Amino acid sequence: MSSLDLNRGFNKKEIPLKNKIIRVLLYIIVIFVLINIFLPLFFAILAMFKDKKEIFSAEFSIFPINWTFDNFSRLFYLEYTTIGVNYFQSLFVTLAVSAISMVLSLFINSIAGYAFARLEFPLKRTVFAIVISTMFIPGITILLTSISVVSALNMMNTIWVLIIPGLSSAYNIFFFKQFYSGFPKDYDEAARVDGCNSIEIFFKIYVPNSLTPMVIMGAGTFIGYYNSYLWPTLTIDQDHKGLTQIMSLIYSLFNDQSTLGYGAVLAASVIALIPAVLVFIIVQRYIREGIALSGVK
Amino acid sequence: MKQFHLLPKDKKKEEKVSGWILIAPALILLIIFVITPLIMAIYRSFFYFESGPNDSYFVGFENYAKVFQNEVFVKSLLNIVIMTLLIVAFQVIGAFLFANILVTMKGRFGVFARTIIYLPYLFSGVIVGSIFTLLTFYNGGVINGILGNIGLDPIPFTYDTFWAYVSIIVPTLWVGSGYTTLIFYSGLINIPKDYYEASMVDGANFLKRTWYIVLPQLKNYFVLIIVTLVTANLQMFEIPMLMTNGLPLNETMTPVLYLIHVRANGNVSQSEIIASSIMIMIFIGAINAIVFALTNRKEKRAS
Repeated sequence: MSSLDLNRGFNKKEIPLKNKIIRVLLYIIVIFVLINIFLPLFFAILAMFKDKKEIFSAEFSIFPINWTFDNFSRLFYLEYTTIGVNYFQSLFVTLAVSAISMVLSLFINSIAGYAFARLEFPLKRTVFAIVISTMFIPGITILLTSISVVSALNMMNTIWVLIIPGLSSAYNIFFFKQFYSGFPKDYDEAARVDGCNSIEIFFKIYVPNSLTPMVIMGAGTFIGYYNSYLWPTLTIDQDHKGLTQIMSLIYSLFNDQSTLGYGAVLAASVIALIPAVLVFIIVQRYIREGIALSGVK
Repeated sequence: MKQFHLLPKDKKKEEKVSGWILIAPALILLIIFVITPLIMAIYRSFFYFESGPNDSYFVGFENYAKVFQNEVFVKSLLNIVIMTLLIVAFQVIGAFLFANILVTMKGRFGVFARTIIYLPYLFSGVIVGSIFTLLTFYNGGVINGILGNIGLDPIPFTYDTFWAYVSIIVPTLWVGSGYTTLIFYSGLINIPKDYYEASMVDGANFLKRTWYIVLPQLKNYFVLIIVTLVTANLQMFEIPMLMTNGLPLNETMTPVLYLIHVRANGNVSQSEIIASSIMIMIFIGAINAIVFALTNRKEKRAS
C-alpha cells in the first residue's frame, strides 16, 4: 500500500536538523533506549550460566565466574522432580496448540469478517453489534462461569479446552472486516459472471490476497495462545501433566525455586522466548501495515 | 459445463444464506464461550453460594454490598487506578516523543530501531516477570549487586511501596512502549506533507508544530491508544504476580490478582468473586466512558 511507504511525508528537506549537537543527542537517546531493551535479556542470558550459589550471591559479578550448563541439564530432568512435567514436551504441546488454534481462528474469523464486510443478510447490523460488544467483556469477568461452561461440555483437561474457547475473536473479525471493506469490488462481479457464489468468491479471490491480515492476525493469535497463563492453568489439573502449557510450567518452576534454583527458571524462560523471537522475525515486515489496518483512523 | 448467470434476485437470496453460513461458526463460539458465561455471571452474582451453584439462594445485591465492604478488593481497585494512570501517562508521553525522534532517523539504523522496539511486546508476562525478578531480587539481584559493588545500600523492592510500584511499572513499560511508539510513528508519517511545509514557512518550532498540527491530526491515535492501554492495564496481573505478588501489605494488589488469590485459598465465597469480577467490568467500562468524554470535550473546544 502506497500510503504506508516508510519515507512518505518525511525527507531531509522537511525536518532539517540543522543543529548537529541535537542530531547526535537524538542518536544517543535512541541507542540508550535500544540498550535498555536488550539489557534485561542480556543479564538473564548470562545468569543462566551461573551455578546455583552464584546467582543471588552477595558478591555480584555480571559475567559468570564458573560457567555451567547445569541450569539447562536440569530442564531435561524436570519430569523426575516434584514438578513432574517434561519441559520439552510441554513446549511442543504448547506450540502445537498455538499452531492449530491459529489456523482454526484465522479460518473462522476471516470468513465472518468477509461476510460482515461484503454480504447483505438479515440482522447483519444487530449481529455485528453483538459481536463487537463482546470486545468490551474483560476475560476475568467471565473466567469462573467459562469454567462452568467447559465443565458442562466435558472439555476440562482435554486439548479442546485449550483450543476452542478462544478461537472466535471480535477483534480479529473487526480487523478482517476492515481489510475486506477496502478490497476492490470489481473482481466480485467478474467472478459472479463466471458463476461463483459468495463463498467461492471468498476462497478464490479474497483469500489469496489476504497475506498481510493473515500474517498479522495469525501472529497475534499464535502469540496470544502461546503466552496465555491463567486459562491453561485453571483448566488443566495436576493429573494431566502431558497437557501442561509452557507458561503454567514456568510459573510453577518460579514458585518452586527452592528445589530447582532460579537459574533453571531463567533457562526455561529464555528457551521459551525463542518461538516469540521467531514470530517476531517473520512478522516484522508486516507490522506497519498491520497498524494501518487496525482501525486507528 | 453449463454456466449460470445469477440474477440480482438470486444473488440476494444466495448472499442471505452464505452470509449466515460464514458468520455461524464465529457467532456460535462467541455465544457459547463469551455471552453465555457473561449472562451466567450476572445471574449468579445475585445468588449466594460457597463453592457450587447447587444449593444457592437469592440475595439481591448483597454480594455487591460485600464487595464494597471488602477492604482488600477496594484497595486493589485504587492501586490499579494509580498504576494504570502512571503507566498510561509514561507510555503515551514517552512513546509519542520517541516516535518524533524516530521519524528523524534515516537509513538502516532507523529501520533497525523501529523494528527492535517491537520485540518485547511479544513476550509473555510470566517470562518478563521471571526475567525482571533477576534485576530486583533483594540479595544479589543485578541492581542491588551493582549498588553493593559501588558501596550503596540495596533497594528493598518488595518491602517499600514506591519501589514495589517501580518494579511493576518498569517491566510493563518495557513490554508495551515499543508497540505504542510504532502506532504513533505510523500516525506521524501519515500526516500530509503540506501541513509541515506550511508550518516551516511560518517558522514554527517543534512545540508549536506539535501543538497546532500534530496533536489535532493524531487525536484518534491518542484516543485509541489510551483506551486500549487503560483497558489492558486495569486487568493486569501477571507482572505484578511475579514481581511483588501484592507486597508490601497489598499495596500492589491488583483486582485480577486478588481474585486469583481468593479463588486459590477459598476464603471468599464464589458468589462474591463473581460479583467482584462484574464490578471490574463495570469499573473498566466507566473509566473508558470518562476517557471518551474527556477526549470529546477537547475536540469541541478546538473547533
